[in-house]
Amino acid sequence: MLEVLHSLLFSTLDAAPALVFAALGAMLSERAGVVSVGVEGMMRTGAFCAAVAALAMPTPLAVLVGMVAGAGIAAVHGFLSIRWRSDQVVSGMALNLVAMAGGTFLLESLFGPNGTPAITQLSRWNVPALAHVPLLGALVGHSAPTYLALTLPFAFHLLLSRTPLGLRLRAVGDKPHAVATLGLSVSGLRWAAVLGGGLMAGLGGAVLSTAVLDRFEQHTPAGLGFMALAAMVFGRWTPLGAFAAALFFAFGNALRIGLASSAPWLLELVPQGFLLALPYLLTLLVLGLQGQRGHAPAALGTPYEQESR
Amino acid sequence: MGERTRQVLPSVLSVLLALAVCWLTIALTRDADTATKAYLQMLWGGVGNWPAYLEGGNANSVLRPLGESAMKAALLTLTGLSVAVAFKVGLFNIGAQGQMIWGALAAALVGAHVSLPAVLHVPLALLAAAAAGAVWSSIAGLLKLKRGVHEVISTIMLNWVAVSLVDNWLVIGPLRAVAQGHQSSITGTAEILSTAQLPRLLGDSSRLNLGFPLALVAALAVWVWLGRTRSGYETRAVGLTPEAARAAGIPTLWRAGGAMALAGALAGLAGAVLVLGTEGRYPGTLGAPYGFDGIAIALIGNNHPLGAAVSAAVFGILRAGGTRMQLLGVHKSFPELIQGFALLFVAGRMVWLALLNRRRAQRAAVEVPRA
Amino acid sequence: MSLEDASLDIVPGELLAVVGENGAGKSSLMNVLYGLYHPDAGTFLMDGKPVRLKSPRDAIARGIGMVHQHFMLVPTLTVAENVVLGREPTKRGLLDLDRACDEVAATAKRFGFQLDPRARVDTLTVGSQQKVEIVKALHRGAQVLILDEPTAVLTPQESDELAQVMRGLVQQGRTVVLISHKLKEVLGVADRVAVMRRGRTVAEVRASETTVSALASLMVGEGSRGAALTGVPVTAGPSGSDTVAAGAGTASTRSDEGTAPSGPIVLDAKDLRAKGDNGRPALQGVSLTVHAGEIVGIAGVDGNGQRELAEVLTGLRALDGGEGTLLGGPLADLTPARAKARGVGHVPEDRLARAVVKAMSVEENVALGRHRQPPFARGPWVDFKGRRERTNQLLTTYDVRPPDPTMALQAMSGGNQQKVVVARELDADPKLLVVVQPTRGLDIGAVAQVHARLREAKARGAGVVMVSLDLEEVLALSDRVYVLYEGRVTGHFPRKDLDERELGRRMLGAESDHG
Repeated sequence: MLEVLHSLLFSTLDAAPALVFAALGAMLSERAGVVSVGVEGMMRTGAFCAAVAALAMPTPLAVLVGMVAGAGIAAVHGFLSIRWRSDQVVSGMALNLVAMAGGTFLLESLFGPNGTPAITQLSRWNVPALAHVPLLGALVGHSAPTYLALTLPFAFHLLLSRTPLGLRLRAVGDKPHAVATLGLSVSGLRWAAVLGGGLMAGLGGAVLSTAVLDRFEQHTPAGLGFMALAAMVFGRWTPLGAFAAALFFAFGNALRIGLASSAPWLLELVPQGFLLALPYLLTLLVLGLQGQRGHAPAALGTPYEQESR
Repeated sequence: MGERTRQVLPSVLSVLLALAVCWLTIALTRDADTATKAYLQMLWGGVGNWPAYLEGGNANSVLRPLGESAMKAALLTLTGLSVAVAFKVGLFNIGAQGQMIWGALAAALVGAHVSLPAVLHVPLALLAAAAAGAVWSSIAGLLKLKRGVHEVISTIMLNWVAVSLVDNWLVIGPLRAVAQGHQSSITGTAEILSTAQLPRLLGDSSRLNLGFPLALVAALAVWVWLGRTRSGYETRAVGLTPEAARAAGIPTLWRAGGAMALAGALAGLAGAVLVLGTEGRYPGTLGAPYGFDGIAIALIGNNHPLGAAVSAAVFGILRAGGTRMQLLGVHKSFPELIQGFALLFVAGRMVWLALLNRRRAQRAAVEVPRA
Repeated sequence: MSLEDASLDIVPGELLAVVGENGAGKSSLMNVLYGLYHPDAGTFLMDGKPVRLKSPRDAIARGIGMVHQHFMLVPTLTVAENVVLGREPTKRGLLDLDRACDEVAATAKRFGFQLDPRARVDTLTVGSQQKVEIVKALHRGAQVLILDEPTAVLTPQESDELAQVMRGLVQQGRTVVLISHKLKEVLGVADRVAVMRRGRTVAEVRASETTVSALASLMVGEGSRGAALTGVPVTAGPSGSDTVAAGAGTASTRSDEGTAPSGPIVLDAKDLRAKGDNGRPALQGVSLTVHAGEIVGIAGVDGNGQRELAEVLTGLRALDGGEGTLLGGPLADLTPARAKARGVGHVPEDRLARAVVKAMSVEENVALGRHRQPPFARGPWVDFKGRRERTNQLLTTYDVRPPDPTMALQAMSGGNQQKVVVARELDADPKLLVVVQPTRGLDIGAVAQVHARLREAKARGAGVVMVSLDLEEVLALSDRVYVLYEGRVTGHFPRKDLDERELGRRMLGAESDHG
């Protein structure tokens, strides 16, 4: 029993970072009032660029490239939705489609259908002395993103609740006109949040191809971006809530994969499909129960126009 | 610039710009000559190689590609309509994919397990698909109208629930076809009966089937409904200003819920057309994400039913032709890239309008003599 | 809104009022002074030196503060967070909320405000929110404080209090610029008055040397048009609305006749209770009757249940308790559709949100609400021909400009949009007409026309319920007035007993002390 728990914990921590980063990125953007359905596309771009970059440079640097690539997609989103006040959902979905098709096209024309060549994974932090200690040992043997994912949500929490920038971001997501009349730049704040969100989503994608796998695969991130959105909503647009939800979803995935190998008889009773659907069903349930728009920022999705209020 | 031009021009320019950008992509990764040849292949693959045909070629060289295009256009029209109808009532239906999945499954089950003459079997299968899609979209509709849950989030979630439940459970589990003899590795549901197949319109040489006229009729019907009937008018009023519609005594919840259900029904029909027209059963997975494409089709068509049909026709041709590009080593997903960029440029509608207005302003400035 | 050739001198240490009709450019001018809008031409001198205000940041840096008509507060943040937003005190890079609260409390105390810095803004009353706005500006060291229509949402008594606050600020050496269209109030508090008309400043006078009627004439350009502003009942429309006058002529039962209502009862409601949008009780036992052929005014400070009452009467809001009869049917199960069917007309307060679909054409808007019946529909189909004919007819009768039935409604001016709404509602020949703030934001010509139309409806035998925050409007039109305070009726006056001060007292919740 303890061993099962141990391995579940280990694989949860291995798989969670991508989800955590993407959920934090989406949350950052949405708290400032910009809808972030493009997170899947940003992750895909980040994953692709990181994998390609890692062919030519050390993997940690390649991760940075992936982050910047995610921010690049976010910049297009910002240009359309902040600068030109386009519909934020449309812009995000368009970027998803472009990233989906563009990723496939570039992958096929540069490397062929089976993904990029294998790259050096991010190194893991092994502590042999601890590795076999039950449960505690599950905390070691991960690569850097895991530990980052365990700390960053708290940093984001601090940022939002305890810093001037956080206060302004919250204000701009709830009532941008109030922020504007105080001489602060609404678009500046939103740009910062959208680009920051893009960096995080790009990081989430990069982690997929440099830590979870060792290449970019054709379907990466296979809907993980949408699951990150679910985690953000489930976590009520708060960093710690999104973190908890992302961990929970990652645990669900680990449990499903774990069960498939260790207890296939259980999957006869509870089909895999149900377990796969569970995070989304739970999100729907919670939304249905708490009603309204949950705790979404008041100005979410509304382009800022100076002369209207 | 007339109102109609303002509506249409950005979409047309967006598609052209997307074509240009994507041409450049091939020209840069390969060379300009390949790019042009690939585009020609895409065109011949989409509308048929007319030059060859007119020089005495086989009629099939035209009929087959047209059939493929029409088939894809039919699916895109239906999912595009699905998104557009929801838009008219102010809802963003990202869930056409999930609705289509259930529609396809329902059509496959009715097609395979009910025995009826064709005149009844096809309509029944279509109806079942529409109903299944409507039920699925109504979950999002109810969550929105009763609980205020944003439909973008709920339909995204419902898509994944549909994929998980159908592809990862039903069609590999309880509904999987019973293996017959040597076909032990079959995935997906059982083959539909011949009575449930959508009739082919041009014989065996082309896969053009009843689905295409069906989609066109659907587009026309939606257009007439929205523009010329009381309930269509009410639906648009609800979409534009819900509070005013409510104050005017319009049953806003019914209209919004009805439009959302109709959106699901249309997406469900797309699933039926796929299964009854070409696939013959629910395959292991639905393959191309026509439901997501519907978002692009609707928006490029400016959320107008006929606009959606036109943009579906354009992208149906490009995508049917896209397979031919592989002859030149260009991946067949290329038309999807064009479609993605076109949607991105349409999302920048405001940029287009600003540019067009500036041009007009400049012309006006030139025409007015300086004082 | 446009400004042309507007000039303004602001002298330190004085209270300058800027008056003008709605749309005269007062708010635009102030937004220029505050750096929110950028002028196409013109100069702005401070202490004799030219200054360019690129954004509110520049204005704030130069000691200009502004209290907007629609409060610029983030409802989910606390008072202190709202006040310090943009210049937050920090300790080692982190927000120092304790210091923020202390600072805000100190500022509030210095100027004599009672505010809890830790309270969330969305829990405060309107009056307190306004104080937060003022503290916000003062906290930024505002020497010049601009207040845009600050009394629009206050009771007369709260307004008096605000006047004292403004005088106090001036005594402390600050400069106050007050934007208003309430002339009497302005003369009571200002040192100097600047008058704006159609984007221009047309006069600057000392408050002690002018009168309400003199200012009113300056505001509208010529003497005759000032009538509506000074509370004199308007009996006919201004030039350009002859057709109105024709209708209104028969209708001009002079409002001050004060006859007791005699028509049949169209609305008889007892002990109405309903919840507001926030879930708190908004109506707590309102009883009222309305007879055919009378205008019943509902007076009260904004947010005391008037809006909810109008919504109950039009079927838009469900009753929580109480009962009543409306046009022969029970009030309890009223829906908008049923209300329409019984003959209730509705001119709501927020036209763009409630009354029209602005992206639709004028004719589609004329059909709205009656689109199921002839001449707007034939069976399940839209009757394009019938709709066009009826619309053309109404556009002519009501002098809507331009008279183009295919034009998108949003392309019309606010006054013409309102005419379309009034035309549509009266065309249905309502037996009970519920109007809320029918003239807010309209220019004088449109105001007079709308008033004439209400009198016309009354003359045709409709019962009219008019909710207005504008006491002058209530006094000018009503045959009877109910005063609402916190969801209860605190006063009921027949026309002959109307008295502005007494109304004001009741609006603040005072019960009758003499009769």
